[in-house]
Amino acid sequence: MDSLVDFDPLTSKLVPAVAESWRSNDDFTVWTFKLRRGTKFHNGREVKAEDFVYAWNRIASPKTDPPSDIAYHLAPVKGFDEVQEGKAETMSGLKALDDYTLEVSLKFSFPDFVYVVGHPALAPVPKEEVEKDPKAFGLRPVGNGPFMMAEPWKPDQYIKLKRFDDYYGDKPYLDGVEFKIFKDEQTAFLEFQAGKLDFSENIPSGQIETSVEKWGESKDGYTAQPGKQVLLGGEMATYYLNLNNQNKYLKNPKLRAAISLAINREAIAKTIYEGVRKPATGLIPPGTVGFRPDQGKYCRYDLEEAKKLLAEAGYPDGKGLPVFELTFNAGAGHEDVMQAVQANLKDIGINCELKGMEWSQFIDYRQKGKHQIARDGWIMDYPIMDNMLYPLFYSKNIGMDNTSRYSNPEVDKLLDQARKEPDEKKRIELYQRVEKLILDDAAVVPVVFYAHRAVAQKWVRGLVYSPMGLVHLEKVWLSK
Amino acid sequence: MINYIVRRIFQVIPVLLGTTFLLFVLMYLIPGDPVRLLTGEKAIDPRRYQQIRHELGLDRPVHIQYLHYLNSLLHLDLGTSYQKGREVKEILFEKFPNSIRLALAAIFLEVVFGIAIGVVSAIKRYSLSDVVVTLTSSVLVAVPVFWLGLLLQIFFGVKLSWLPISGMGDGSLRYYILPSVTLAATSVAYVARLVRTQMLEVMRQDYIRTAYSKGLTSWQVVFRHGLKNALIPVVTFIGLDLGALMGGAILTETVFNWPGVGYEIYIAILQRDYPVVLGGVIVMIFIYVFLNLLVDISYAFLDPRIRYGKRED
Repeated sequence: MDSLVDFDPLTSKLVPAVAESWRSNDDFTVWTFKLRRGTKFHNGREVKAEDFVYAWNRIASPKTDPPSDIAYHLAPVKGFDEVQEGKAETMSGLKALDDYTLEVSLKFSFPDFVYVVGHPALAPVPKEEVEKDPKAFGLRPVGNGPFMMAEPWKPDQYIKLKRFDDYYGDKPYLDGVEFKIFKDEQTAFLEFQAGKLDFSENIPSGQIETSVEKWGESKDGYTAQPGKQVLLGGEMATYYLNLNNQNKYLKNPKLRAAISLAINREAIAKTIYEGVRKPATGLIPPGTVGFRPDQGKYCRYDLEEAKKLLAEAGYPDGKGLPVFELTFNAGAGHEDVMQAVQANLKDIGINCELKGMEWSQFIDYRQKGKHQIARDGWIMDYPIMDNMLYPLFYSKNIGMDNTSRYSNPEVDKLLDQARKEPDEKKRIELYQRVEKLILDDAAVVPVVFYAHRAVAQKWVRGLVYSPMGLVHLEKVWLSK
Repeated sequence: MINYIVRRIFQVIPVLLGTTFLLFVLMYLIPGDPVRLLTGEKAIDPRRYQQIRHELGLDRPVHIQYLHYLNSLLHLDLGTSYQKGREVKEILFEKFPNSIRLALAAIFLEVVFGIAIGVVSAIKRYSLSDVVVTLTSSVLVAVPVFWLGLLLQIFFGVKLSWLPISGMGDGSLRYYILPSVTLAATSVAYVARLVRTQMLEVMRQDYIRTAYSKGLTSWQVVFRHGLKNALIPVVTFIGLDLGALMGGAILTETVFNWPGVGYEIYIAILQRDYPVVLGGVIVMIFIYVFLNLLVDISYAFLDPRIRYGKRED
């Protein structure tokens, strides 16, 4: 599936895909994409602007079965809410001006919108194929990428693709690709060891070190080469502790800062994640455009200062504080981290009790602001800072994704300003200031940045596993 | 006999009503919200949330939901999976045959090896082979499935490259070997011990002595008179075990990436995908009832004294 634009797998920079060019009006509310001529769907028909209009409306429509959980990407588009509520069939902000021109009107100014349209989920869809048989389309989608479905997808077993010879971009080297779906990463890894898989996404826990000894570690963490086959590069995602900023105690920034300073991120990264995940230095993970490694004033381990701040907050040695509830979704491998956090906080006199919950109950609990300290994580959809800072920390998003219930007028003002700033450099600076403000307030406590734990066989060439977890398979070949 | 079978089949109705009711109540009581699990972690508009609840019929009182479900069931409609948007019937049709095939392969091993080992160790009681078999079976009964599976995978799949490690591949026999051995291991041991005990018991009976005195060979005595009579509890065990294996060998299916129904239902429980859980359980009930019936009928064959549906004179 090729969307309007794409990202360079190593630098995350925008590159054209189906759209050869794009521009916006002065306030970034209306975007015009010029489509490449001659790009084709796997059924041989040319991709036209109307196909994007159809695909995007299909994602937003509540009638799509099952309802799409990625519809939120299109929330900035005018008319999205009306379609979601069933008041309209199509988004008023989407227009195919002609076969090769797509115009998108947004509800608000959004200079980074072009990154949003790079998401693979926003690729075009041929209406005639969906309408012929929606069920069959679900099992054998017709797209426009370098590979096409070779046969209907076997749920929970495999997806087989073959080369699409009419692809507009670089012609793939491989004749086909088979994605095998595993229930257990250990089984997948055994298949890899037996040489039956060319690439395995997850080295099971406890086996990173031996894997690196056996196959060698990739230099940049993303590119596989013979003898440097283990990929441990950072992913665009952050694991953090969500502090309820409206809590009677946790609304005190000094207390939050003390908590942040008490967390031994190095130890958590090393012992629990075998050194693969890296201690978080801020909110925005590396790989994101505008990442800075020096943002988090309190993202370090300093017990003395933690104790000092705790005393300044009015709770010397934790006296006067209740036993905090440390909530997490049980059975998903978070117990170890939560226990480490519990022990770390105890060192400065803050007592916590662990509370593991069922997943849906947990997200509801957190979203309704019933939590005190909760596990959280954010995986970037696109490599832009807005993708994390706006939903998580803009005060109007309290009750939605701003589950730490953080509200800072200065942050709101800068976010509004950044969303209108035409100059990319200035815009990035504004977002960096926002990140710094949030971290100085210790609104939440970043713990680790996620990382790959993948491995490729020595005969695999040209494979780059991007920080966003994407692989340009058309560039991969096998030297066997 | 026919009357008996018909009566047994009708007995499934209260079982079905009871189980579905119990499941409905349980699902209502346990924490977890299918809509939240469907829409993902990111926040959605509360109106949209309510709309999805409404579309799935989850906003109705639980007893109405239950009656509605029973009504669909009468029309042989198992509903649609919340998560996959596919018909439950279709999912189960796809997965059940895989579980059944694997279960049959395992049962075959259980029957052949379990009985053979049991008979040998009973006849050669206290011999070296009996001690070895008894010890091995004690160990096998205690071995966790995932561990045994993993060992077999590493040895036969990775080190020797003799057998496929996981999946069903093209469906050929070699793909069945490791998972069915893993699945059968515990039961082979159990069957062997059961057969051994039963055989020792039976071989002490008077009619066995009579059979020997009639001049029959040991072979004939053991198989025609001994084993046949020792098999009744074994058949019960195997019948119930078959039901259990078909209903899902979650661990084996996970370790061997087997596309079976056990794992499907397990995941559906985690995702609160009620239609899949209910549909899967209903099919399992039918399988159990059917197998129980088969077991009961087979008693009549094994022991001519057992007759059904006729009052003794």
